[in-house]
Amino acid sequence: MTRQLAPRPSARPIRPAGRAAKVAHRRWTARTRRDFFVFLAMALPNLVLIAVFTYRPLFSNMYYSTLDWTLGSPTATVVGVNNYIIFFGSNDAPKVLGTTAIFTVVTVGGSMVLGLLIALAMNAKVRGTTFARSAVFAPYVLSGVGVGLVWLFIFDPGYGVLAWLLRGIGQQSPQWINDPQLSLVMVIIVYVWKNLGYCAVVYLAGLQSLPQDIMEAASLDGANGFRRFFSVSLPLLSPTTFFLLITTMLSSLQAFDLIRIMTPLGTGTSTLIYEAYLQAFGAYNRAGYSAAISVVLFAILLVITVLQLRFVERKVHYS
Amino acid sequence: MRLNLDRRHFLGLAGATASAAALAACSGPSTSGGGQATTEAADIDFSGVKPAAKIDFWSSHPGQSQDVEKSLIDKFHAQNPDIKVNLVTAGANYEEIAQKFQTAQAAKSGLPGVVVLSDVWWFRYYINGSIIPVDSLTKQLDMKMDDFQQSLIDDYKYGNKHWALPYGRSTPLFYYNKDHFAAAGLPDRAPKTWDEFGEWAPKLKASSGAQYAYIYPALAGYAGWTLQNNLWGWGGGWSKDFDITCDSAESVAALQWAQDSIYKNGWAGVSSKEAADDFSAGLTSSTISSTGSLLGVLKSAKFNVGVGFLPGGPKAQTNVCPTGGAGLGIPSGITKEEQLAAGTFLKFITQPESTAEFSAATGYMPTRKSADMKAVLAKTPQIQTAMDQLAVTKVQDNARVFLPGADQEMAKSAAKILTQQADVKSTLTDLKTTLQGVYERDVKPKLKA
Repeated sequence: MTRQLAPRPSARPIRPAGRAAKVAHRRWTARTRRDFFVFLAMALPNLVLIAVFTYRPLFSNMYYSTLDWTLGSPTATVVGVNNYIIFFGSNDAPKVLGTTAIFTVVTVGGSMVLGLLIALAMNAKVRGTTFARSAVFAPYVLSGVGVGLVWLFIFDPGYGVLAWLLRGIGQQSPQWINDPQLSLVMVIIVYVWKNLGYCAVVYLAGLQSLPQDIMEAASLDGANGFRRFFSVSLPLLSPTTFFLLITTMLSSLQAFDLIRIMTPLGTGTSTLIYEAYLQAFGAYNRAGYSAAISVVLFAILLVITVLQLRFVERKVHYS
Repeated sequence: MRLNLDRRHFLGLAGATASAAALAACSGPSTSGGGQATTEAADIDFSGVKPAAKIDFWSSHPGQSQDVEKSLIDKFHAQNPDIKVNLVTAGANYEEIAQKFQTAQAAKSGLPGVVVLSDVWWFRYYINGSIIPVDSLTKQLDMKMDDFQQSLIDDYKYGNKHWALPYGRSTPLFYYNKDHFAAAGLPDRAPKTWDEFGEWAPKLKASSGAQYAYIYPALAGYAGWTLQNNLWGWGGGWSKDFDITCDSAESVAALQWAQDSIYKNGWAGVSSKEAADDFSAGLTSSTISSTGSLLGVLKSAKFNVGVGFLPGGPKAQTNVCPTGGAGLGIPSGITKEEQLAAGTFLKFITQPESTAEFSAATGYMPTRKSADMKAVLAKTPQIQTAMDQLAVTKVQDNARVFLPGADQEMAKSAAKILTQQADVKSTLTDLKTTLQGVYERDVKPKLKA
């Protein structure tokens, strides 16, 4: 059956010709002006705040990235793009970018996969799911500093809980804190533990909003649980997955507190954001160079977000 | 006037406003005066200047000294009722306080009157022109400079001026568990050389039940400072003046020996957090830690604690101990009145009675020759060892104290060598390249100017 649709009113009013048009336009303008001032009163404070506290530091940082500036020094030299050339030409770039990539991929992947598994478990109609939900989500809202300190005690190779357990089976604890490779593993474990609750709760909300009629239809068609999950639930969860992918990736790329507390020197754990911190405030005092690294991070975040919106979103089913 | 602003135009305008605000905000440092700010500071004339009524004292409370700092400030207030000193916890360690101080410098506001600065930070403040030389103040306030321990006051001398005064000054000490040593049939003393300790260590480990005979200090906790002892003992070092020598045959041999003590001989470990705590907890029979840890160790250890000079190596048996710790400086970005008030406070807090009180509370060394330490030594005789060792200390290699970030690079290299069993020679060669780069880029141009 076809249905005759009523003609859609044009988004823009057709301006009448001649004098009548001028009058109509003047009336429209007067109303718009009033609306505009209301809009201005509402939006301007926020726009000013954004301009001062977001765009101003952003542009200032871009400017600083063109300087050879020692933090604390009242003077600096303009060096153009030299800080970028130094960064990409040094051994720092592959190390820092590699560490950033490993940290981001593993923490995003780990948080999302484990979060989904936990959400599936919590979605089952069994007793204690409310408690489980709170317990899983709790680490996400805890202070990163506190979490880092507690886990440092757990990982301590001398008198940590983990070392004690390993000694119980006749094994020596690995040098989690001193060994640069293991320290990255240690921080990743803690970061995933802290953040998977967020993914689990968001996935749980997604699972609980899946249309039951489709699931029942799939069951009636003979699809087993495994097939239902991969062919029905997972595609229908794609908006949730897409949302989590963007938010967790941005969050991982900007992870700071745990790295700062657990590995203050950034030995093996120096991601882009932490390297930027170390270069300016850690010990090197190279504020211009640090600003250049921050701009690189900004560019990466921008490119990733644009790519995600442009290509990944195409595969998302919103209904 | 016709106002034709739709949403698109308005957002454009808002964007332009934001960009303008951003560009207007691009003040930061001045770019007209070249790339460095080293000041050949002339002696400041304080004649006719009246001290400010209030200054801040930024401290990280080295050696858990908050209480004794408060006590000293109270005594200062009693003697100087016109100057109020406000104690500010500006960080938990030297790095955090440096971070806050440099941020205040960049912000050009909120600077203290007096700031704690460590051995690796004051030179950077000097290069940036962030601190003033204290000579004219000490002269005006009639401070007895020749009463300071010479090696401690000389640490802050550059360009024939003093840029700070010694405060929480320390050296590393060799700490050992007397009970473990006795059980292993070893003499009740620190080893004279590392080779001698290499002979003792297997016996210690076998008889003590501790996890290690010796634990290297935590790498994040100033590895470059404590490993200076090993390097000097083997005839090596981080540098000679500004010539980086960390990859010399002697330096490689020193750190190879350290790596072997962990992997080949199996009697040593590396602390993850704080070697003094590991030692107090009985995890190891011996370690090296700051004199500033002495009172904490004596308080928490449930065994007899012995202390001794740092062991020597095959090439040098004496003068193998570096000086270290913190001094006090006065920022350049405050008023003369505040600087004079800060100088008055410096005079008080570094006077013999104050340094003796500070030493008694923390274990740091008295910085004055005339400090009366009888009561302190009667209570804590171990401090005498630290004081005696002062005569055979050496100023640290330039590479560690004058190159920004060098300590961190040294710690990273030490981590590779001592926890990943990396090749010692190639690791130290890489370190040399890094340190030379730092010198060429961040220090040499500023020294020339």
